Amino acid sequence: MSGTWLTTRAWLLMLPLLIVMIAVIGWPMMDTVRLSFTDSKLVGTQGSFVGLDNYVRMLSSTNFTRTLVTTLWFALISVTAEMVIGVLAALLLNQEFYGRTVLRALMILPWALPTIVNATLWRLIYNPEYGALNAALTQIGLLDAYRSWLGEPATAMIALIAADCWKNFPLVALIALAALQAVPRDIVSASLVDGANAWNRFRYVVLPYLAGPLVVALVLRTIEAFKVFDIIWVMTRGGPANSTRTLSILVYQEAFSFQRAGSGASLALIVTLMVTLLAIAYGTVVKKFAGSAA
Amino acid sequence: MTALTIDNIGKKYGDVETLKGIDIALEPGEFLVLLGSSGCGKSTLLNIIAGLLEATSGDIRIGDRSILGVHPKDRDIAMVFQSYALYPNLTVHRNIGFGLEMRKVPAATRDKAVRDAAKLLQIENLLDRKPGQLSGGQRQRVAIGRALVRDPKVFLFDEPLSNLDAKLRMEMRTELKRLHQMMKTTVVYVTHDQIEAMTLASRIAVMRNGRIEQLGTPEAIYNRPETLYVATFVGAPPINLLNVTKVADGLHLDGTEIVLPLTAGTAATIAEGRKLVAGIRPESLKLGQDAVTLPVLCEVVELTGPELVVTGYVGQQKLIATLAANSRASAGALLSLSVAPDALHLFDPETERRIN
Ligand SMILES: Nc1ncnc2c1ncn2[C@@H]1O[C@H](COP(=O)(O)OP(=O)(O)OP(=O)(O)O)[C@@H](O)[C@H]1O
Ligand SMILES: [Mg+2]
Repeated sequence: MSGTWLTTRAWLLMLPLLIVMIAVIGWPMMDTVRLSFTDSKLVGTQGSFVGLDNYVRMLSSTNFTRTLVTTLWFALISVTAEMVIGVLAALLLNQEFYGRTVLRALMILPWALPTIVNATLWRLIYNPEYGALNAALTQIGLLDAYRSWLGEPATAMIALIAADCWKNFPLVALIALAALQAVPRDIVSASLVDGANAWNRFRYVVLPYLAGPLVVALVLRTIEAFKVFDIIWVMTRGGPANSTRTLSILVYQEAFSFQRAGSGASLALIVTLMVTLLAIAYGTVVKKFAGSAA
Repeated sequence: MTALTIDNIGKKYGDVETLKGIDIALEPGEFLVLLGSSGCGKSTLLNIIAGLLEATSGDIRIGDRSILGVHPKDRDIAMVFQSYALYPNLTVHRNIGFGLEMRKVPAATRDKAVRDAAKLLQIENLLDRKPGQLSGGQRQRVAIGRALVRDPKVFLFDEPLSNLDAKLRMEMRTELKRLHQMMKTTVVYVTHDQIEAMTLASRIAVMRNGRIEQLGTPEAIYNRPETLYVATFVGAPPINLLNVTKVADGLHLDGTEIVLPLTAGTAATIAEGRKLVAGIRPESLKLGQDAVTLPVLCEVVELTGPELVVTGYVGQQKLIATLAANSRASAGALLSLSVAPDALHLFDPETERRIN
């Protein structure tokens, strides 16, 4: 009895939120689905029903495959680097030393800055004429002449990934630091008495408490990296020669630059589906890891 | 030769002196209990012995070897923590064998040691489980097992039983006593439970504010407390403290006409007119026909099962007595209780030290 009442009440309480969600997400989504089956342009004609044409064309284009690979690369390298750097930073900031509190606060800064600011900052650093990176590298003799880091396909992706890491490692570090502080002192003490070296201490004492939160961070970061748009748009617009074009950029170009709303919509839905699958897959993993050190 | 020597150990946190000149020397096989209220420095001392904290001054020796500055793993000690401190994602088997594994003891030897310890602690059937799948009592057995397999010179226990429920605590206490009688290893055991201290210890160090208030056998601590603090800390229900004044023929109980007799030896050593605090253990009070009796007005009478706990007043001063369960006493009644002269513990109210 009370069970059904509780359920009813739960739905009632969620109703306002549901209405808003349907209005701002559900409805546009439905419209996107409708669009994806038409040959609508961004402006002008209504467009007519073309069935799965858009999907077939998008999925079979070399552009799509190339962009997918670029996206996966970006996600793989940047997320891996962020996880490693984040955990190392957390381990460092978990030590006791003078100035730790200040450093902890400072570390959050890159993440707290708006992406646009961050991206602009890195554009300045990479600037081919007066960029700090060029200056630094030539002054210590690693570089003969100034380079256009974002202007050459060979370096643009790396430069982007570095900027993305700089922005996002603090999130991982923050989550890891919180987890580290939850490691019981007594277990650390026990491992010292038992004679565990630093590596074994990390593996058997710290990692069980770190694993769950880190998986959550990994999920968050991977999904975000897969959808990445703003930092790339500000820094390279997907160039040079499409070398930094990710799926979200491609969706944008298709729908807005080339004004093909229909095929843009189909592409957007394909990306949405991929991210959803990613989220579901990770959800299962998170469930498995959550409370691994209970 | 002493097994463990704690030599004038001091510890400061900033300006705060947490430990002040602790001196203890333990014979091999002794079971020392550090007893004291929360915050008196018990864990600090234990952690200094373990090497998890550094002392500010003093020296610690195991046998003849100073272990100051020696890494915890090289001190030949094993430690059991209040929170069990098991490795969460290792099986019981690996938890117990972890110290040996880290010391690169061959797997076969390790396995045998683990199984022997598990058998001793009756946890053989749990070896494949993870700590998360164990009850509190089982976890503590695993933690003890982890210490046992190391076969150390000194065992350190920090309130190992305080997370267990009353019944389990009693069982584990007996278990620990049995293990110690069998292994005869030196033990330093921290607790604030006086029953644990009394039952387990070969000697008790009662600590207060970073100092040792009294170091002695459980009998000495209970029967000859050196200070008021020790007298009140040990014993339940607590010792009765009565304000008295020395007069010619004994101790005059303040606020009454009663004069308690003293033993001849004691009487001679105390100046007349001196104010004192007389401690009387509740069980030293008997329903009496002696010459001098204390008229006690019962306020509350509680039957605990084996005995009757009477709380009342003699004059203005509160008194608790534990009498035989079949004694006749009821609230509002006036009881005549007597106490043997040699059962009196006399303290100076200023220095709080024992004087008889
Ligand atoms: N890191 C520290 N910095 C400053 N003071 C500390 C620190 N660690 C402990 N203390 C202080 O030292 C005193 C003794 O602490 P300790 O942990 O040894 O007490 P304890 O006797 O074990 O108490 P409990 O029975 O509660 O475990 C306490 O007053 C505590 O506040
Ligand atoms: Mg303690």
